[in-house]
Amino acid sequence: MIGMSRTDLHTRRDFLSWTKCGIGGAALASLLMRDHVVHAAAVPSESDDPPPHLPPKVKRVIHVTACGGFSQVDSIDYKPELEKYHGEPLSAEEKPDVFFGKVGLLRKSDWEFKQRGASGLWISELFPHLAAVADELTVIRSMFAETSNHTPATFQEGSGFRLNGFPVTGAWLSYGLGSETDELPAFVVIPDSRGLPAGGSINWTNGFLPARHQGVTIRSKGTPIDDIFPARPISDDTELASRELLATLNEQHLSERGDDVLKARIRSYELAAKMQLAVPGAANLDRETNATHKMYGLKQPETVDFGRSCLLARRLLERGVRFVQLFSGGAFGSPRINWDGHEDMLKNHGREAKRIDRPLAGLLRDLRQRGMLDDTLVLFTSEFGRTPFAQSDGNVLGTGRDHNQNGFSVWMAGGGLKRGFAYGATDEVGYRAVQDPVHWNDFHATVLHLLGIDHHRLTYYHNGIRRRLTNVAGHVVEGVLG
Amino acid sequence: MGHSSRQQAAKGLSAILLAFLFSHGVSAEDPERHFDETVAPLLARRCLECHNNSDRKGGLDLSHSETTQQGGDTGKVIVPGKPDESLLWQYVKDDEMPPENPLAADEKVILKEWIEKGADWGRTAIDPLRYTTDRRAGYDWWALQPLSTDGLASSVGATLSHEFVRNPIDAFVIHSLLDRAVSPSPEADRRTLIRRLSFDLRGLPPTPREIEEFAGDRSAGAYERLVDRLLASPQYGERWARHWLDIARFGESQGFERDKLRTNAWRYRDWVVGALNSDLPYDEFARQQLAGDVFGPNSASLVATGFLVAGPYDEVGQSQQSAAMKAIVRQDELEDIVSLVGQTFLGLTINCARCHDHKFDPITQKEYYQLTAALAGVRHGQPTAINDLSTAAALNAKKNIASRIKHLAAQVDEIDKPIRERILADRGNIVESVERPQPMSVWEFNEDFQDSIGGLHGEPHGNARVSNGWLLLDGKSFVATAPLATDLTEKTLEAWVTVFGLDQRGGGVISVQNQDGGLFDAIVYGERERRHWLAGSNGLTRTNSFSGYAETKAQPEPVHVAIVYANDGTITAYRNGQAYGKAYMTSSLAVFKAGTAQVIFGLRHSPPGGNRFFVGSIDRAQLYSRALSPAEVAASAGTSNETVREIEILPHLSPEQQRRRAELQFEVGQLRSQQSRYDEPTVYAVAPREPEPCRLLARGNTTQPKEVVAAGGVASLVGSDADFGLPADAPEAERRKKLAQWIADPRNPLFARVIVNRLWHYHFGTGLVDTPNDFGFNGGRPTHPQLIDWLAGELIRNDWSLKAVHRTILISGTYRQSSRYDEKRAGLDAGNRYLWRKTPLRLEAEAVRDAILAVSGQLNKTMHGPGYHDFRTFSSNSQFYEMLDPSGPTFHRRSIYRTWVRSGRSRFLDVFDCPDPSAKAPSRVVTTTPLQALSLLNNSFVLRMADRFAERAARQADSDHEAQTRMVYRLAFGRRPTGRELAASVSFVEQHGLSAFCRVIFNSNEFLYVD
Repeated sequence: MIGMSRTDLHTRRDFLSWTKCGIGGAALASLLMRDHVVHAAAVPSESDDPPPHLPPKVKRVIHVTACGGFSQVDSIDYKPELEKYHGEPLSAEEKPDVFFGKVGLLRKSDWEFKQRGASGLWISELFPHLAAVADELTVIRSMFAETSNHTPATFQEGSGFRLNGFPVTGAWLSYGLGSETDELPAFVVIPDSRGLPAGGSINWTNGFLPARHQGVTIRSKGTPIDDIFPARPISDDTELASRELLATLNEQHLSERGDDVLKARIRSYELAAKMQLAVPGAANLDRETNATHKMYGLKQPETVDFGRSCLLARRLLERGVRFVQLFSGGAFGSPRINWDGHEDMLKNHGREAKRIDRPLAGLLRDLRQRGMLDDTLVLFTSEFGRTPFAQSDGNVLGTGRDHNQNGFSVWMAGGGLKRGFAYGATDEVGYRAVQDPVHWNDFHATVLHLLGIDHHRLTYYHNGIRRRLTNVAGHVVEGVLG
Repeated sequence: MGHSSRQQAAKGLSAILLAFLFSHGVSAEDPERHFDETVAPLLARRCLECHNNSDRKGGLDLSHSETTQQGGDTGKVIVPGKPDESLLWQYVKDDEMPPENPLAADEKVILKEWIEKGADWGRTAIDPLRYTTDRRAGYDWWALQPLSTDGLASSVGATLSHEFVRNPIDAFVIHSLLDRAVSPSPEADRRTLIRRLSFDLRGLPPTPREIEEFAGDRSAGAYERLVDRLLASPQYGERWARHWLDIARFGESQGFERDKLRTNAWRYRDWVVGALNSDLPYDEFARQQLAGDVFGPNSASLVATGFLVAGPYDEVGQSQQSAAMKAIVRQDELEDIVSLVGQTFLGLTINCARCHDHKFDPITQKEYYQLTAALAGVRHGQPTAINDLSTAAALNAKKNIASRIKHLAAQVDEIDKPIRERILADRGNIVESVERPQPMSVWEFNEDFQDSIGGLHGEPHGNARVSNGWLLLDGKSFVATAPLATDLTEKTLEAWVTVFGLDQRGGGVISVQNQDGGLFDAIVYGERERRHWLAGSNGLTRTNSFSGYAETKAQPEPVHVAIVYANDGTITAYRNGQAYGKAYMTSSLAVFKAGTAQVIFGLRHSPPGGNRFFVGSIDRAQLYSRALSPAEVAASAGTSNETVREIEILPHLSPEQQRRRAELQFEVGQLRSQQSRYDEPTVYAVAPREPEPCRLLARGNTTQPKEVVAAGGVASLVGSDADFGLPADAPEAERRKKLAQWIADPRNPLFARVIVNRLWHYHFGTGLVDTPNDFGFNGGRPTHPQLIDWLAGELIRNDWSLKAVHRTILISGTYRQSSRYDEKRAGLDAGNRYLWRKTPLRLEAEAVRDAILAVSGQLNKTMHGPGYHDFRTFSSNSQFYEMLDPSGPTFHRRSIYRTWVRSGRSRFLDVFDCPDPSAKAPSRVVTTTPLQALSLLNNSFVLRMADRFAERAARQADSDHEAQTRMVYRLAFGRRPTGRELAASVSFVEQHGLSAFCRVIFNSNEFLYVD
């Protein structure tokens, strides 16, 4: 476990938050002391070929998933030619097969691009705060996807497959790497405060992996995790006596049997108590300084939601959580609450970027200043990008953009990467990945590589196949590695 | 079993095979036969992986006599008679080939002697799939061979007389135990046995009475009678249907982006429950699910095909603009269906051959597409299957629902009554009471567009959606219903409506129209007179001004508007229960014909466009097939003097009363929804469509179609004919029929093996093959190959009766063994694969919940019918599910009657390893986690049931704590507490109460594990 001492747990504030939840932290703590299980312990890998397969560069991941299709040509894939061709039709060779079937005129970015930082990475005014930490970023500008249909594309972004029922990256890591702590779930999900992504919990499914690897949703307000506390108040005395009676009954049951599974189940109650003690503290953002609150944008109404999510994510990672997935954006429909800017890019991306720009920049700065960015991986991805041409009739310059699976951008930051660096390229207008194209399988292989995992060797047998996150493909994108 | 250990096993197997071949006399006089039996298998296993017709490493192809003679890039590799001059032998001798894994000495001998004797060939070509290698299965793979019929007599006959043996199963088991010098365990005691059997067959604990009766029945055959009784219990079907639904990846929503509810998928679940209870022969069980619509015997048989389409459906993907992308979505869907069929019935992962020949099993890519062709007519759909919605069972179920609703309404009334009376008393004059009139259709827009009492279910168009109990209409969208079932002339239209934008003109709120909109009557806003309501009609033929008053401001609550069309031609309007302006006469009413007319919301009439759209929301709408009286309208509007509205009552209730009232109302809503789902004549099942020609797709790529492929099976299944004899353009029904016949053929070696292994798997926790969906090379090897074949034979000999096989397994001594752990024997077989004891099993998620309900006395045993919802739905373009813990008998049914939504998974069930309903789950992993402990300690359902359990125990026992504690033990564990347990428990109950004690009991290992 990193960055947290035991005394951290026993502060007055934690106990206050316990009391608020109507359960006796002191009682549980004394129970744990008695059983000598106060300290956090690691949860081992369940893989029969456990990593590391190679020296890991990072230990944990925070994955920001931008739902709806994040526009590369308005943000991190600078295309001067697009300004030149603004208002002209796409070249005759390209016959785009777009989702809504409407190919309008080429449209330049609504935001001005500038070179940023020492690295000179191009980032537009859509992300002024992120631009200030450009030297931390590693941009892949040559992503391509297999479908321009949101949900299958989102499933593939998470699980490598377009279909329901396959485990997502966080579940794979929980299974393959275990966790640095047994006090918190290994794979935690923080949905957008406006709503769940389309498909809801399918987006953090364990698929065919054991159910314990499913993502656990956590909230930064109210009860952080479902069932962490009794649904109605139970007195300290009763709680303590109940655990003791349970232990007595289970010990007697065990003494007549002796099976390991029964022992494991007795132990799971100790682990549960540890989790009950650890979670409220981890989720308590009041513990952070005013300066930190400001850095994450907790003071502004438009950034407070995502800022809280980012700060909570950092606190969880600090305490040993393996994989935190944050969602920027909810489901589809109207009014839009995600990046699906079909109608009006300026309004849509302007609003969505504003929500996350300052918090993300704050997160990167904070991880850096705490020394965590060296062994943490930050991912920012979207299921696909958007078209450089407007979504309108052929001779019209509309204000929205359609889905684009052929070329789009993602960024990463953290250990083991070339910083302030852009990899791959799309064509001159940003429509199609042409140089060093990267498939999701390659992206996932790279993420696993940074975590010390050979993606061929992280497998799970299911219905005839030793399944992988990377299906039967995937190459590590060596070009982004530092 | 790990991959490497599988390979070990495979190597062991090939060694046995070699020994077998040697022992069967290699005839020196017949070199061709010698080649086929000895040399060819060796080449196939060890050389052809890299030197075959399609992959010629070093230019060498050893699969054919001619190409072998030709040699490779470096020239000839064999000089007949002279091994030392043969390149092939030199490489092999020096262990350079095969790389990494050189030949064993005995294998080298075979090769050398063959070259010495002239390197003669038998058949001119070696099929590389002919023999199993250490990397893959060939045609000789065990699972593909016909069932062996002599296992019992030849191999284990000697052990038949062993004292452990109760039936032939035990002879096989004791045989392999004795081989390993492990002794079996003694029989478990009576209480353990009945608890084991009860959970195994019913998924529920035995009642104390059942336990006492069985424990006390010392007569011969008591155990067998118990087995028979439990097999005959209707809960058997519920329990075992859940297993089957795991395999069928059964979900009741679409998955993907929209994840819409499938309100009629429950009929497939009921079909499975019923089929298992009636012991439908397994071959018929399979045929119905593959092609019930083709085989009959009646239209309801197509319900069974719900199996094929029980998985997710990508509605957005199937309707997107791009034909290329649509084709991929469709191929993905077909892969899902082919994999389902292959794995479920054959234990073959045929789906692995979509992009290339199967890497591990003898299945070609072409065969994958043959299966695809056989299933290419399968489409997700909602065909009408139920001709008779008024069967005695359905009527009875609906009667029960109605009486339950009445009962709940009375409880609501009980809460409301004192308040209502007080409010009425304050109002003073109480007038004659008028019953609320009964509409023919009601659209509540609570969670969907359904008609909650009739069949006029709506479908949204454009962005019309339901949110928070409102139908939201954006001025571009509308909802249209199914056609009227009866003609309609006299009528009343009624809606609770909120207008967004007071000055909009001409939008329709609710209309009855014929489908082209040429004839309609509608409640219309602001059409001729700004801000006024009027009775819109085609060409304004039945429209006059009511001269009512104008809306002046947006209302905080919706306005109630009703228009009454009386037979004499009078048209009267009402607003908030009061007459709206003046009624007027028209010459005649319009007649709307059944089958062609429909109801629409948000659009004055078809076609969509112009100023006909309405912008606003509708809270509720109702249609009556008669003209209401003014008093009835007032009663319906809730404004008549003697009606007190909910909104007036609620502020006077205590928080606890409000909570209770909301709970009751939620249950009423749920029951109404069940009533309407009972009346759906459609089912979620196969709606076949004649397919396009099916082509093999190179690399599985839809842009690389190759030759047309006709429907067919997999040739490597020895004994069954994979050629369906159908042309490529055969009708789809023929294709599925042939497929079903091929699969459910007694000569098909896998069909029976796979299902008996599944039964074994659920009875013992692990199958004889530990990968029930995969009998191929990557799957587990059978621990008792002869037993699996004998059981498969038993199934066929018993006319495919699953219950007969259950019975055989359950009455065996093997099943009856004690589960006690034993260190010594565990040291010899830690995983208990050879069955020296009965492995203790943790209850599955559903059984945990069901058992908690059962011991608490709360289990509602109502069978069949629409499932309960443990969620609230809200739609915001996509469907969302907010998970709840609703209380009341409607929700206390067995977990199999839960509505299994893909994105609305039950947290409580999930922590106990409920599988993702989109993933085929032939076995469930059993995990032990802290979240599980937290759920059992803290979940509101558990705490509530602990209260109910405590109340039950207190009711059934004396008031003293000891008697109550004993009762809890009796109900939960079916036994008396030990002295130590009793002392600790009673002391706890005295200090912390009986409910807290029941909570501990639910958390105990004894409650969760079955010995």
